[in-house]
Amino acid sequence: MTTHTLELKNLTKKIKSKTIVDDLSFSVREGEIFGLLGPNGAGKTTTIRMIVGLISITDGDVFINGTNVRGNYEKAMEQVGAIVENPQLYDFMSGYKNLMQYARIMPGVTKERIDEVIKLVDLEYAIHDKVKTYSLGMRQRLGVAQALLHKPNVLILDEPTNGLDPQGIYDLRNYLRLLANNGTSVIVSSHMLAEMQMMCDRVAIIQHGKLVRIDEITNQEDEADVKVHFQIEGDVHEAKKVLSDMNPELDVTESGNELIVQVADLKSIAGLNKQLVLAGVLVVGIQRKTKTLEERFLEMTKKGGDLNEVAVPVNE
Amino acid sequence: MKWLSLLTNEWIKIFSRIRTWIFIALPILIIIGVAVYDKVATDTEVNENWKQDITRTLEDDKKALEDAKKNNENEIYIDMLESNIKQNEYAIENDISPYEKTTWKFMKEMAPISSLIGLFVIVVASDIVSSEFSKGTIKMLLIRPYSRWKILLSKFLATLGFAFVMWLVVIATTWLVGGLAYGFGGIDQTYLVVTDTQEVRERTVVEYVFANIGVEFIELTALVALSFMISTLFMSNSVAIGVAMFTMFAGNTIVMLLATKDWIIYTLFANMDLSTLIDGQNQLIEDLTLPFSISMLAIYTAVMLAITFTVFQKRDVKA
Repeated sequence: MTTHTLELKNLTKKIKSKTIVDDLSFSVREGEIFGLLGPNGAGKTTTIRMIVGLISITDGDVFINGTNVRGNYEKAMEQVGAIVENPQLYDFMSGYKNLMQYARIMPGVTKERIDEVIKLVDLEYAIHDKVKTYSLGMRQRLGVAQALLHKPNVLILDEPTNGLDPQGIYDLRNYLRLLANNGTSVIVSSHMLAEMQMMCDRVAIIQHGKLVRIDEITNQEDEADVKVHFQIEGDVHEAKKVLSDMNPELDVTESGNELIVQVADLKSIAGLNKQLVLAGVLVVGIQRKTKTLEERFLEMTKKGGDLNEVAVPVNE
Repeated sequence: MKWLSLLTNEWIKIFSRIRTWIFIALPILIIIGVAVYDKVATDTEVNENWKQDITRTLEDDKKALEDAKKNNENEIYIDMLESNIKQNEYAIENDISPYEKTTWKFMKEMAPISSLIGLFVIVVASDIVSSEFSKGTIKMLLIRPYSRWKILLSKFLATLGFAFVMWLVVIATTWLVGGLAYGFGGIDQTYLVVTDTQEVRERTVVEYVFANIGVEFIELTALVALSFMISTLFMSNSVAIGVAMFTMFAGNTIVMLLATKDWIIYTLFANMDLSTLIDGQNQLIEDLTLPFSISMLAIYTAVMLAITFTVFQKRDVKA
């Protein structure tokens, strides 16, 4: 049986007559990394703010480890660590003193734990410097450190990769995975599709405050809409003709020295290849690309069409 | 008690800022400066022959009084001259030198420095809520497992604690500096006041000093509550500092302008200067008494705190 650490039930936020978050419901399992994906202004941050009690809930409920945030806020928040938007810290104090501020008021944070967290976010070299001297990435890392101090089992990170360099993003991803494997539920929001795809187990796509769908980011071998790219040496046009003639119902497009074919199942790839080879076409490469999250996201949010060129394939 | 850690945190935040130390150092330097200047500049001979000096002042005052009466000048001015004359006559008759200085006298004279403390306390109190909003750090604080009122209460108590500590430091410094400069004696020293019925009375200086220490605690509490409320309502420390300073300083002017109105005694600023009510000298509004003003301040403080906590509890934090 899966345990749900965070549950949203019909969560709604109205400011005046405007509905910012509309009847949002989802549950986050123990030990998974759950993404909130949506364009700017979709209501991701508003949702997070309601979860952590920064803004009032118009309607609906939030349960953290079974405790209703509206009912017993103090109990609900004990096991939560969060960064809401940018981590804003006390500039006039050192990183260490900032951490001490939070360590003091959270239950069970030892000195060893503080040192452990500092080491984890790789800030040992600057921890006694004042935060005003920190770069954005360093602040972000200190923000992550304060969110982790008390070993929360629900970790909420709003745009956590903001300001991190590639190495920092890579480290964060690995660390979040480690936390998730140890049973922590991590909720990450972002509008960066590729990032979410690499980081999350499931992604909820949100638009205009509504949940559009929840996607499992899994190995999508059996995904129906698979595109196959045949790399052709020689006349691509001729090759296209070969396939089109033999399979009139097939959707074949040319793209540079590639033929892109939409296939219904994986077995037909071998068949198509055979046809090309037998027709004397030099096939130098075959690549399978499932529809990426980005494509689906853009389709869903109706902002653009096929952005295959920039998409990051899922199963590579 | 984990909750006390919230208070520790606020206390650390206040004292992590250089500003706070300047606020404490400044009054101390002023006190030392005044004592040193006074020591260097005061002619000790005048102090010894104080009767001659006072007699001269007395004659000047009498002349001024005659002129004033002839020219039908301001009543307050005439009253002031009359009471000065009475005081000085009493001083000469009873051999009470107004120039005799002890540390207690020094403390009485330095009492107005409490306005400076008030000013600094306003700055700290205005900042402690609003700056967390403007810098966004309030988010990191509010997502902890503590109800909002506990967080706000910790801030209020920390500010109050800071205000009281600062006042006590200033008191202790004044006593010490005064003692070193003029001697620690004079516990039974008296000074003269003129009552409503134009009688001259003797009062002990120590009594005034301790009453002043006491009422300043009350004033500071009201001042902190005021700055706190405005900074929570407007989330802007400049507005809070502005309004609180206005109440503290411009308040007197407004009270003077509206002194004849009956309702003025129910306003906050009419009751903000408790120290003049201790011995009733230079009192702007005759109707005010110390118990009345303290009650008014208590009511205002309670109402302001109620508003602050209610608003803070319900506010959507979008910082």
